[in-house]
Amino acid sequence: MAKRVLVVDDAIFMRNMIKDIFASGGFEVVGEAANGLEAVEKYKELKPDLTTMDIVMPFKSGIEATREIIKHDSSAVVIMCSALGQESLVMEAIEAGASDFIVKPFRAEDVLAVVKKVLGEA
Amino acid sequence: MRHVIFRVEKERYGLPLSAVREVVVPPEKFTRVPRAPPAITGVMNLRGRVVTVVELRQLLGLPDGATPPSRVVLLDRGRRDLGLLVTDVDGIEAVERVSTAPGKSTPAIRGVARLGGLGVTVLDPEGLDAAVVALFTHSK
Amino acid sequence: MTMDMSRYLGLFISEATEHLEALGRDLVQLEREGSSSAVDSMFRHAHSVKGMASSMGFEPIAIVAHRVEDLVDAVRQDRGRLDRDLVDLLLSASDTLLAQVRAVAEGRPPDDASALLAQLGVRVTAMTGHAPTATRVAKVTVLKPEGSDNGEDPSSGSSGSGGASGSGSSGTGGASGSGSGSSGSGGASGSGTGSSGSGGASGSGTGSSGSGGAGSTGATPSSTPESGSGGGTSSGTSGSSTPAPDTSSGGTPGPGSQGTTPGNGSQASGAVAPDAPARLTAPETGVGGVREVLGIGAPPSSGNGMASPATPTVLPETLVADLGTALKAASTGVLPDDRATQRWAVRLRISPTCQVPGVRAFLVHKRLTTLGTLVDLRPALEELKAGRIPDGYIQLELETSVGEAGIQSSLKNVAEVDVVSVKLAVAVPVPVVVPTTTAEGGRATGDSSARTVRVRTELLDYFLDTVGELMLATARLREVGKVLPENVRPVLDEGVYRLHTLVKDLHDKVMSARMTPLSLITDRLPRAARDIARRKEREVDLVITGAEIELDRAILDELADPLLHLLRNCIDHGLESPEERIAAKKGPRGRVLVAVKRARDRVILELEDDGRGMNPAKLKAAAVARGLLPPEVATRLTDREAFMLSCLPGVSTAKDITDISGRGVGMDAVKRVVESVGGTLEIDSEPGRGTRFTLRLPLTVAVVHLLLVEVGDEVFGLPIAKVVGATEADGDALSRSRETALLPHGNSLLPVHALDTLVGVPSPGLRGVRPFVVMEGDSGRVALGVDRLLGQEEVVLKPLSRPLDLLPGLSGVTILGSGRPVFILDVPRLLSA
Repeated sequence: MAKRVLVVDDAIFMRNMIKDIFASGGFEVVGEAANGLEAVEKYKELKPDLTTMDIVMPFKSGIEATREIIKHDSSAVVIMCSALGQESLVMEAIEAGASDFIVKPFRAEDVLAVVKKVLGEA
Repeated sequence: MRHVIFRVEKERYGLPLSAVREVVVPPEKFTRVPRAPPAITGVMNLRGRVVTVVELRQLLGLPDGATPPSRVVLLDRGRRDLGLLVTDVDGIEAVERVSTAPGKSTPAIRGVARLGGLGVTVLDPEGLDAAVVALFTHSK
Repeated sequence: MTMDMSRYLGLFISEATEHLEALGRDLVQLEREGSSSAVDSMFRHAHSVKGMASSMGFEPIAIVAHRVEDLVDAVRQDRGRLDRDLVDLLLSASDTLLAQVRAVAEGRPPDDASALLAQLGVRVTAMTGHAPTATRVAKVTVLKPEGSDNGEDPSSGSSGSGGASGSGSSGTGGASGSGSGSSGSGGASGSGTGSSGSGGASGSGTGSSGSGGAGSTGATPSSTPESGSGGGTSSGTSGSSTPAPDTSSGGTPGPGSQGTTPGNGSQASGAVAPDAPARLTAPETGVGGVREVLGIGAPPSSGNGMASPATPTVLPETLVADLGTALKAASTGVLPDDRATQRWAVRLRISPTCQVPGVRAFLVHKRLTTLGTLVDLRPALEELKAGRIPDGYIQLELETSVGEAGIQSSLKNVAEVDVVSVKLAVAVPVPVVVPTTTAEGGRATGDSSARTVRVRTELLDYFLDTVGELMLATARLREVGKVLPENVRPVLDEGVYRLHTLVKDLHDKVMSARMTPLSLITDRLPRAARDIARRKEREVDLVITGAEIELDRAILDELADPLLHLLRNCIDHGLESPEERIAAKKGPRGRVLVAVKRARDRVILELEDDGRGMNPAKLKAAAVARGLLPPEVATRLTDREAFMLSCLPGVSTAKDITDISGRGVGMDAVKRVVESVGGTLEIDSEPGRGTRFTLRLPLTVAVVHLLLVEVGDEVFGLPIAKVVGATEADGDALSRSRETALLPHGNSLLPVHALDTLVGVPSPGLRGVRPFVVMEGDSGRVALGVDRLLGQEEVVLKPLSRPLDLLPGLSGVTILGSGRPVFILDVPRLLSA
């Protein structure tokens, strides 16, 4: 069974790119969200195996959304999408329960490596 | 996305369902908060938690109305126990396609949407939170 | 697999244009009405454009967007920085960006806008105090044939991407072959697996590599053994599927077949990993398959087998030795006692290609702290977070009961980290209660103490809350009973009385269950003292007395950081260097004394050093220099008041913000925490003799004694501790000094304040004789005019949550038996604010 992924980013561009990366890695992207509010909703609805989460988003930041998702499901696997210079935000997200992070601009192989590593255990 | 739809007088507002913890009937009497800005109705005891209640009408700067508020919409804001006093709650509806509200924008308002042919103003939970905090920080 | 970015070009152009147009609109709006939402949204727009442009490899666009992001971020921190010039600059930047995007749309390279960049750079430096940081941009090439990129970029592989190069260190031949294999074998399975092997991140890029080829075939047969070795490194797996003949060692099959032996299996597999070629056949099986098997066959803990293999720096001998012990343990089934807390020395390495080693290290730290107590960490957390990790090596000691397997397991799914070694360190006695200083607190460790059960703090909080609600419900029942007919009342009253007694008893028990010895936090101090002293080249003896005294758990948890800060303060700033001490005719070793005493319903904690003492004049000067105090007031302060200036934000010198448990805690924070739990902080100091911090703490969470008073139809609580007495007088007959009425009390006249005016609550304004409460204020006693005295009550104080905590003059809130919330007033602040 392909792992089910929820992609959260406010830019369609990024979402599409991430979706393609996942598709190339044999994952199934089951949903997308364009902001933190939607992310939490979608997460509850879809129960994905993995969520990629942008940090800077309108309405509700990725950190806040991560916190809520983890509160809702402590076993949720959330991977933060960050850029260089956002180190402290990523650490905040890790405190909030994020499992790992990837750094923009993404390289498909790096992303898949992190993701598979994270999913590599029950 | 599903929203809780409520009214201030005739005007309809929506908040994402995920941002609302519950809807309750206001107590007969609120405990008044010393030196709080006028929009703060007071605090109420909700099963042992002290919830700050703000009158949405005043928070949004709407004119006074005739209908007494009949519901408190409690926001799910972590440890910030915040309730919005509103005229009534209509129910839960799916609201899609929120577009920018015309006129001046405030952080508390995310935009407007159409629902069953009528307009509904979609509120932003974080913006509301910020607006309440702003009431306190500016009143000094 | 390089991505073909050209297919995103259209989307890039349209979306970037949208963002840039919005950015322009926001700027105009911002200048017109200065709304803060505009700044946030500008930041998002710039950030999005940067991200997209860097992904597309459009460096000039990414850099300009990055600068704009920096500038907007600076404005976000401080709105005062936004001026006309900046708006102009940002507007021209957004125009340039739009032009650049248009260029791209027309198939031209974007202009590099060097003049604008220079301007932006200058402004960034001026506003942030540092030069703009580099912008990272993807090296995008137009589509390349799949697989050709293997090893093309050494960094990629080692970063753990598995496939190709990962092996760099170890794998070698096998790797490359495999890498291509994996992609080639293509299909979902092939690639998926390949990268899963990437577990190889750890260094066994090998495993991953192998995967490729095996992929399809290996899938099924491999699955079982795979479980044994645990997901990650295909290593063991490889051995298994291509059964034992695996050249590398008899070792591999061992763990594989052993199936569930946790750490060991892993070790073994790790050990063999380096000689990769064998792994060409590694089945990878696809992550999914492996996991399912794991789920059924082996308990999760065994899954950890992963054990990232050793880094190349470890000598083969060590590996062999480790393998030997591992096998021995595996075969005899003797595993470290799982329930005992043991101290493990762990050595890790962050992959050198990791782009943000600080965050990586932080993630590792976070994982490990959930396992037990981190007793030693090098580099220190603050260094780690800042990414200052020499050669990527991290050393730490961890007290935990999860064993090596648990440690390995907690790290096995963290990318870009190699576990170099996990060894048993000196055994430590099992503490009765393991400090849960991490916020999560939810440790899965067991406790070997027979009579003690560890309970999570949240659970204790829950008990307390629930008991509180039980009390409330009981009180409500009693109220209801009062309106019942006489004949049924005695029965109900009796029941309610019994209920009340039981609940009260339960409350006491819950409170006592929350009592925890101070040693929970003071046990950390000797170690911390040593570390701080070593870093500062001081010598110090730390003496702790009375640590067995108990306090409410919630208070203890709050005190952990402040206590560390005070200790650091004593050693860092209080104690002199050995040479200075000798010159001052003191022994070369400084002394810090932590003494805990119980005084009635309070606990007194003193922390005292014999160092140089504090200089009141300097503190005054610092406070004046920072504009916190008018000079004429400063000169009037007593020394003791001057010492307290160190608790003003900013006076506790910024350089104090250090690495205590990861966050800067200044003296202002210390004072705030102590007061927030209902305690007080005093500072005494004598030049040349030392400094003493005295914390007076309540035993339990804020049970406060209140005098309830009525004003209008509101009720307020006044802390009895601050109430001197109450009296009645005719308000109209009082003498006056200018505007203020004066109440005779004892031998003096006290200024009178009407509580209704103070709190802003309308009251009928009683004429004639009314009650007055005499209270201690900051500058002497005051009399408060109220409408009615309602009596005393002992209540549980609830802290004020946002936004109420922003109001001056409230110290908390409580709920009375009637269910009514009542505010507790902080009278001195009401008077001054």
